Amino acid sequence: MIAPLSWIKEYVDTTLKPNDLGERLTEVGLGTEKITKIDEDILFEFEITPNRPDLLSILGIAREIAALENKPIKFPKIKTELENITPKKILHLKIQNDYEINPRFTGIIIDGIKVTDSPEWLKNRLIKIGQRPINNIVDITNYVMFELGNPIHAFDYDKIKGKTMRVHQAKGGEKFKSVDGLSYYLPQGAVIISDEENIIDLCGIKGGFNSGTFENTKTIFVRIPIEKPTLIRRVSQSLGLRSEASSIFERGVNAGGSIEALGRCVDLILEIAGGEISSNLYDLKKEDFAPWKVNLSYERLNKILGISIKKEEVLNILKRLNLSPHESGKDSIKITVPTYRNDLKIEEDIIEEVARLYGYNNFPKTLPIGEITTQTVPYPKDYLIDEKVKNLLKASGFSEIYSYSLISEKDLSSFDINSDKVLRVDNPVSREFEYLRPTLKINLLKALIQNKPNFEKINLFELGKVYLGRTLDEAREEYMLCGVSNIKNFYEIKGILERLFEELNINEDPSQCIEIVNDGIIFELSFSNLLNKIKPGKIFKQIPKYPPIIEDITIEISEGTKTGEVISEIKKQSILIESVGLKDMYKNNRTFHIVYQHKERNLTNEEVEKIREKIIEVLRQKFQAKIV
Amino acid sequence: MEENLIQVKNSAVSLILEAKDQKELDEIKLQFLGRSGKLTLAIKELVKLPREKRPDMGRLANEVKNTIEETIITQEQQVRKTQSKTLKENIDITNPGIRPDIGHLHPLSQVIYDVVDVFKSLGYQAADGPEIETDRYNFEILNIPKDHPSRDTQQTLYLDTHKSKATPGEIILRTQMSAMQGRVMEKIKPPVRVIVPGKNYRYEQVDASHGFEFWQVEGFLVDTNVRLTDLFGTIDYALRKLMGEKTKIKFATTNFPFVEPGVDTYIECTVCKGKGCSFCKQSGWSEIMPAGMIHPNVLKAVGFDSQKVSGFAFAIGLSRLVTLRYQMDDLRLLVNPDLRILNQF
Repeated sequence: MIAPLSWIKEYVDTTLKPNDLGERLTEVGLGTEKITKIDEDILFEFEITPNRPDLLSILGIAREIAALENKPIKFPKIKTELENITPKKILHLKIQNDYEINPRFTGIIIDGIKVTDSPEWLKNRLIKIGQRPINNIVDITNYVMFELGNPIHAFDYDKIKGKTMRVHQAKGGEKFKSVDGLSYYLPQGAVIISDEENIIDLCGIKGGFNSGTFENTKTIFVRIPIEKPTLIRRVSQSLGLRSEASSIFERGVNAGGSIEALGRCVDLILEIAGGEISSNLYDLKKEDFAPWKVNLSYERLNKILGISIKKEEVLNILKRLNLSPHESGKDSIKITVPTYRNDLKIEEDIIEEVARLYGYNNFPKTLPIGEITTQTVPYPKDYLIDEKVKNLLKASGFSEIYSYSLISEKDLSSFDINSDKVLRVDNPVSREFEYLRPTLKINLLKALIQNKPNFEKINLFELGKVYLGRTLDEAREEYMLCGVSNIKNFYEIKGILERLFEELNINEDPSQCIEIVNDGIIFELSFSNLLNKIKPGKIFKQIPKYPPIIEDITIEISEGTKTGEVISEIKKQSILIESVGLKDMYKNNRTFHIVYQHKERNLTNEEVEKIREKIIEVLRQKFQAKIV
Repeated sequence: MEENLIQVKNSAVSLILEAKDQKELDEIKLQFLGRSGKLTLAIKELVKLPREKRPDMGRLANEVKNTIEETIITQEQQVRKTQSKTLKENIDITNPGIRPDIGHLHPLSQVIYDVVDVFKSLGYQAADGPEIETDRYNFEILNIPKDHPSRDTQQTLYLDTHKSKATPGEIILRTQMSAMQGRVMEKIKPPVRVIVPGKNYRYEQVDASHGFEFWQVEGFLVDTNVRLTDLFGTIDYALRKLMGEKTKIKFATTNFPFVEPGVDTYIECTVCKGKGCSFCKQSGWSEIMPAGMIHPNVLKAVGFDSQKVSGFAFAIGLSRLVTLRYQMDDLRLLVNPDLRILNQF
């Protein structure tokens, strides 16, 4: 929303410097994004939050400044008393309204107007706020919308077939040509006005070409609609068509402001385009759209804010906001909310009003005093384990990456994964990011290849989610730990994972998680599973008081023999064997490193010799091993 | 006798002071203090002296022994110093060190751990939830019904419901960590203090300051007497811990349907120190932590009595926090696996 300072000043005598004003407005919720100087004027660019339709108008912005600076609002007196007019001639119009979809329908006919270019002041104002002047009638309706915040549409009365307007909803698929000449196919449920033959208005969004005001228009019907936010939003979304009017209606227009806006609009038309009022006021409604009441407990206000603001100050703030407070009890303040403040419905809304004008940055800072619970939170996550695992990989030479969860069909097919069996986004930002990754390997291998031109040694890992299941019914998210290396060999990767498992107190063989690929070694294991397997608490074992006997045995065995089987066979031979390791491997020779240990006494060479003989005998029998 | 002892001392001391290394010193030690060393032998001679002279001579012999020992110790220190100096002189200490192969943690991880740490110290527990989320938790429970205009600020990625029982449009990739408010609070009674880091998704075209995947941390606290000043104090404490004691912070009013009053938090731009630069869009301030008092409708939706308990919620853009902390000018750097980037952290 763009607001020229010169226009704002018409309604409020702001005395703050533009930059200070911008800063104060941001603090109270009217986000000032940009302040620019043009000619003799200053343009404010505001970001309007979805709850404040009133701030999509210059008067609304002026009211906010008036509240901030404690100044009165000046507004030109409306000359036309719409509810007390006696038109010289009456032109007829039959209106069939549907209050379910169009709660208020207000309008009047003006005859004998002259459509020309707008006067310079009007054109300039519109140009300053980024609007293109069209003709005096269209410009006035636009101007009053930006001034007061109620969208207005002028129909060419002579083009309304049968002098009938019927408000109803589209069946879907009807063609509609808007006043700017573009055509749309309407979605089902769009609120429209039809005359006896055609659709002449897409309510709340755009007027129709066939009933628009052009140079030869002589008679107009000026309409102030009140639309339902959800109906307008749904249609504007599905057509991808937004207008200033639809932004206001989506947020909830000032339903009590119709008469004032129409009065202002008629004043300007009669003054600028001439003509005379040629109908009574149409104001079709089933509610009175009056201001509503909200009760504020002074005690609750202070309890929630955490400070005690003096009652006089609270009342003063509420008065400045035009919320007509009056004390209705010792602790109770009754507030009357003007109809343009659709966002103020409950007590908490009023509490925010007081707080923001008191100034968030004037509040003291405290820390919560409540107790700290010992109950475990639902969906718990232990970041210490996360950190431990990542630090171990880091210490092993791996660097961590974060990659996109969304990948392409091409990524999947490069891994021979059928995209039919992978979860998919219906409206991806691009084909590159259409599927939810079922594995982390794809991104890690891409990362490895990306780094190749710059690095010889590449070790990368990621701890992140994969998304499993072929359809949403089976959808499951799982944390995976995945790594890739182009310099470490299988045994080094296996050793790192073994060490990781040891750290987590898990007794498992990681061999199955490791793959040898063209570019190096890649591993991927389910971190979620790992977390379930972690055994709590390590238990200290006494360090041996007596020295061990250590020896290496080298045997020659056939190539296909599994070292793992040999080691477990050796271990079985005596409880005095503390550990068995593979020390060396050369052709068919393997050297095993054996530690013998007795907990309560020194071992003798004779004892060890017996065990050694047993080992050699078993290896000879089971693996046809020869001692070297 | 006396002369003999003094001579032993003098020759020992001069030898010691000339010794170049430990080996020489060891030899000198043996030569004088060993079993058949010069001083040992001289002391043995003491018995031959007349009885009345023995105490004086004994004392002198002891002094000599102490002097020799002390001189040896001093010289040993001297020798060690000279040796290590010469050893270092023999190598080029300006050669670069041989570094162990240690990798790097991603800056996002480092920031997440820091954030969790800070809030842990305030009694918060960490939680984690699904990224594939329902419209209900992501929006409805948070007072954002369908067709609410605030959904515009959170353009949503919808999952393909084809071949499943799910209603189209109901299953989405979560757009905000606040989705975890409903999930957690439905299952628990106040007091609640929770912190939830995680990844979110929005339909956004990628540029330097936007991504369709981004990281946030959500925190919320509900108790019997939670005040707006508690929220201000918590934000202030957390941001100072995370960004430095001198971080300048300011608050502003804003609107999110699930909070009332709504708060936005800005910190002074870390790049230009408030002067205005392209990083902060010339404003000198960076929006970092939207927050507010939890809306009564949200408390009601999760089964809490809004007259008895109150609470606050806040979110920190983690991706933004990382870029602010390390002065990175492009969010896309966070998903770029280039080691030239990663090696800096």
